[in-house]
Amino acid sequence: MSSGVCRRLLRAAGSSPAGRSRVPSSSSSDGPLRAGPTSEPRRRLSESGGRVNVFDREMKKRQKNWSASLQDGHKYEYLRDEVGSRVADRVYDIARTFPLALDIGSGKSHIAEHLSKVPSAHVLIGPQGLHWTNDLPGALKQIHQALKPDGVFIGAMVGGDTLYELRCSLQLAESEREGGFSPHVSPYTAVTDLGHLLGRAGFSMLTVDIDDVQVHYPGIFEVMTDLQGMGESNCSWNRRSLLHRDSMLAAAAIYKEMYGNEDGSVPATFEILYMIGWKPHESQAKPVKRGSANVSFKDLSKISQPTVNLSQ
Amino acid sequence: MSGTNVWSRSREKMRLFPELFAQCAGEAATYGKCVAATTTGRQELRKDMCAKEFEALKTCFTAAAKKKAK
Repeated sequence: MSSGVCRRLLRAAGSSPAGRSRVPSSSSSDGPLRAGPTSEPRRRLSESGGRVNVFDREMKKRQKNWSASLQDGHKYEYLRDEVGSRVADRVYDIARTFPLALDIGSGKSHIAEHLSKVPSAHVLIGPQGLHWTNDLPGALKQIHQALKPDGVFIGAMVGGDTLYELRCSLQLAESEREGGFSPHVSPYTAVTDLGHLLGRAGFSMLTVDIDDVQVHYPGIFEVMTDLQGMGESNCSWNRRSLLHRDSMLAAAAIYKEMYGNEDGSVPATFEILYMIGWKPHESQAKPVKRGSANVSFKDLSKISQPTVNLSQ
Repeated sequence: MSGTNVWSRSREKMRLFPELFAQCAGEAATYGKCVAATTTGRQELRKDMCAKEFEALKTCFTAAAKKKAK
């Protein structure tokens, strides 16, 4: 949709006269805070084990502390509550009881309050932490280690195309107003990469699925204010410390025109990746040995079905 | 920090943004359409491609701000 359009645009914008070089999104850059265009900011798997230094963790701590200190902080909790309840759904879907559960990094335990029993060897992680960690593979490995064998990890993180409307509007505005742009929205993990990461961390029987949460706001300003209130402000090392008034005005107009709803509000998309991974145990079903099949795909046609008879 | 400083003053000004922006819906739509059009065309978006439309938007916005300040 529009993000695809925005992506095409980014590749084309690379030839503008400012002479920027291509910067992979996962490296921290210094000097002038203008990133070269990438097809889509993404946290990529790399040879170095996947550890990156994209985020200023000190800054993130300060932002989270500030947001926790807000008097009306509960106003910004809606997204976490929603995701927390969806994770809890997935916990209930698993037809097992677990004596002990751990709810990590969830701030105000948005998941625990949806669960009445306390399960075990279950590690739950709230949507708060993972998209801000510099060492995602390491985090997943640690979670894997903390589990008992045959334990399960159920988690959620924002990823994929989250906030693409905001990202595109800001990029287009800065390009038109200033001749270049710098990243304002974090790079996110894609669904495919997440599967690989979970596998590399030692989890088996993986399930990864995506869910879109679309929240509607009066305008770009409210989007950014709420993100700040949630403690989700940008903290990448290569973030720019100011946003020009003109670019802000331009971005507001672009956001509304390109993505706005009929009633004048604008949507913001949060793509939540849900993941379930099990710690291996002998009781779990394993892939059978090659060559041990005793039915053939050819037999499919012999199954009686009230449908069209496939000839040949 | 006690009293007003550049941060609290500019944050106050920012709070007015949505209200002022709402008064310039027409100019905003025109500018937005101009930029959106460049994303579908073959040419890349360059600096000041929609400068005229943006100036109209900015004029409207500044005028609204002056009226508000009175």
